[in-house]
Amino acid sequence: MSSKGKDGVSVGYEELVPGYEFPSASYELSTPLISKYVEAVGGSADKFVPPLAIAACAMTAMSGSLSLPPGVIHASQEFEFFKLVPVGATVNCRSRVARKLTRSRMHILVLELSVFDEHDEMVQSGKATLVLPVQEADA
Amino acid sequence: MLSEIYDGQTLPPVIRGITQEKINLYAEASGDFNPIHIDESFAAKTPLGGTIAHGMLILAYVSEVMAQSFGLDWASGGRLSVRFKGPARPGDTVTVGGKIDSTERKGGILYANCSLECCNQKGEVVVVGGAVVKLPRQKEIVHA
Repeated sequence: MSSKGKDGVSVGYEELVPGYEFPSASYELSTPLISKYVEAVGGSADKFVPPLAIAACAMTAMSGSLSLPPGVIHASQEFEFFKLVPVGATVNCRSRVARKLTRSRMHILVLELSVFDEHDEMVQSGKATLVLPVQEADA
Repeated sequence: MLSEIYDGQTLPPVIRGITQEKINLYAEASGDFNPIHIDESFAAKTPLGGTIAHGMLILAYVSEVMAQSFGLDWASGGRLSVRFKGPARPGDTVTVGGKIDSTERKGGILYANCSLECCNQKGEVVVVGGAVVKLPRQKEIVHA
């Protein structure tokens, strides 16, 4: 994936607070990238990018600015798709921390993502809920 | 694409076998190298007891059900909300199924409200949720 954050800084879980905005990241949905994605999921794509491919790229772009401990579990996910995106387009992903809480022996992190095209029109938005294991030192 | 839109209509399922090779391929394609997906020795020591497929890989299958049924309307006017209920592991075969629970017209545009479920070969639920798709080209509800 061709991706670039604005400052290349990686933020740890402890530093995250609700409202924190990750550096935006732009990435090109190139033909090789989408072909690789389609091969991995066993689907098909011709002129337009599968919406979940855009979402996967957006989440990866965000994770490039986020340092989480191994073993993170994806608990729930929401997406809304607004616009078709042609293969080869460049999109921009913006993400922020919506919620951060601790329940029992787990941390819960809710992240919001928005993806925009070259015309700054929103092509999709999403919300991911991640569950992180509490480290021994945190317990 | 569905030729008929009506309440209770079943969406054609998507069935996929999960292998570690496919999980590794998805990790390469998505850039998500969380060891819970690709590192068998790490994953074996976690409460999950082994590697699991990426949630977003399973969601790709869920999205495929909607894309097969509603075509480009899904990618330009779909909304998806799901919960991951259990892991999909290498060796599993997952089936994603769904149905149109209801249809409604808002502002002259037809919407289909769907329920979706992904289960493994034992019938255990992996993902459950719902989707709404806007069907601007659908002029009227077509009953069977």
